[in-house]
Amino acid sequence: MSVEEQVIENAKQGKLLTHKCTNCGFLHLSTAYYCLKCGSKGFENVLLPGTGTIATYTIITVAPAGFEKFTPYAFVVMLLDNEKLRISGFMAGISTPADLPVGTKAKITGFDERGIIIEKQ
Amino acid sequence: MSVLLVEKVCVLGAGSTKYGKLSDSLADITVQASVSAIDSAGIEPKDIKASYISNVFGVADKQVHIGPVLMSRLGIPDKPSLTIESACGSGSVSFREAYANIAAGFYDCLIATGVEKVTHTGTEWTTTYFAYCSDFFYEGQAGASFPGLFASMARAYLTEFDATEEDFAKVAVKNHDNGCLNPKAHMQKKITIDDVMKSPVVASPLKLYDCCPFSDGASSVILCSEKFAKEHGGDYIEVIGSGRGGSAAALQGREHLTTIPSTKIASEAAYKMAGLTAKDIDFAEVHDCFTIAEVVDTEDLGFFEKGKGVQAVREDRTKLNSDISINPSGGLKSKGHPIGATGIGQVVEVFDQLTGNAGARTVKDAKVGLTHNFGATGASCAVHIFQSV
Repeated sequence: MSVEEQVIENAKQGKLLTHKCTNCGFLHLSTAYYCLKCGSKGFENVLLPGTGTIATYTIITVAPAGFEKFTPYAFVVMLLDNEKLRISGFMAGISTPADLPVGTKAKITGFDERGIIIEKQ
Repeated sequence: MSVLLVEKVCVLGAGSTKYGKLSDSLADITVQASVSAIDSAGIEPKDIKASYISNVFGVADKQVHIGPVLMSRLGIPDKPSLTIESACGSGSVSFREAYANIAAGFYDCLIATGVEKVTHTGTEWTTTYFAYCSDFFYEGQAGASFPGLFASMARAYLTEFDATEEDFAKVAVKNHDNGCLNPKAHMQKKITIDDVMKSPVVASPLKLYDCCPFSDGASSVILCSEKFAKEHGGDYIEVIGSGRGGSAAALQGREHLTTIPSTKIASEAAYKMAGLTAKDIDFAEVHDCFTIAEVVDTEDLGFFEKGKGVQAVREDRTKLNSDISINPSGGLKSKGHPIGATGIGQVVEVFDQLTGNAGARTVKDAKVGLTHNFGATGASCAVHIFQSV
């Protein structure tokens, strides 16, 4: 299974696969091949629960092809609980900023043609 | 790392097509801009030793590998060319490659031309294909558009700092005011804060008038060694600083969501080479693809402290002939954003300003100008500094 396929399979289970540097301990998304901090190539897989808080987001009304039928929807950047790591994803059912204050608790719930799916907790 | 420069690099000529919705082909507008740069420089095509052509979506007009087409039409098909793609930052990268080749002594005279032609494809095509410039697995695949990614930065900025959507709107109003003084600008139309606030939401909190238009257009400059410039006479300007930088491809991987690291890295390198600081810059053409971008750019370039860029806008400190004239051309917002041409178009504006050809939008007593152009959400960036001779 490719690295991206592993991310997808874990997202479908509501989990986030990450890479922890075996040399310095810095945590990355699992698409990292070398450590951002020390340049080392050794990683151990760490499976995170996929929960966090919304760091920022946008509500998209003019969508790329394939997403028109989902508008309005949110593209969100989520800060993972207890980590300095963020993950982006698609959030359905958001039409005004009042629906999604920054800091809202959220979690990964799947993966489909809309990419990584994130929902409010 | 210090850089060994064999030759001082000058810009000897510059020209652009009008930016907007153009009916001529990609190849035609590439040649039109290039010929105007050649005429402006007072040289002949045979003086040109090679070309650097920036273009992203040539496929949309059935023409990729545009370099040899240009050289053939200029009557110099034996001269080499390189076509460069670096998303919306392609133009400044092709300028940089030409700059580096002259500085290193490989050539004494080059042409750098940028071009884009996409308006005939429509908003859905452009929205879709531009999103391919993101880190697609994480961003485009999850429905992020480019307005959406900059809107995410805008939301973070509104959350972190004392800023309002009206502050962002004021950037658009200022750039449209400047663009009205630029005969080649795409959007020569004065707008008000109210117009921006009432325009349709594209990606909250960004509205239509917070966004630059999709534009067609081509821009071209002639770069040469100082010796070549002096021999050929005519007006020229000197390139005194050149820097490049990178940022994590996806926003999620940036330490701060309201800073573009590549801008800081590129500008610090350019300032160091020029022996200048941000305070020495008289005017700047910055990458204002969205209003939030101009605010962030002016902070990352060192003109204002982080979080204070909106205050400068509020106090009219970035207007034409104020503290620092930001985007006297109208910027991407009003002049337009033909993505492969934009970085070269910025150099055309600096050339016109520093050689006294900027007409009603002239920055008074300007001696030093800066260009700042990036690709995608600033994943790649180049900054150049120029001075009058």
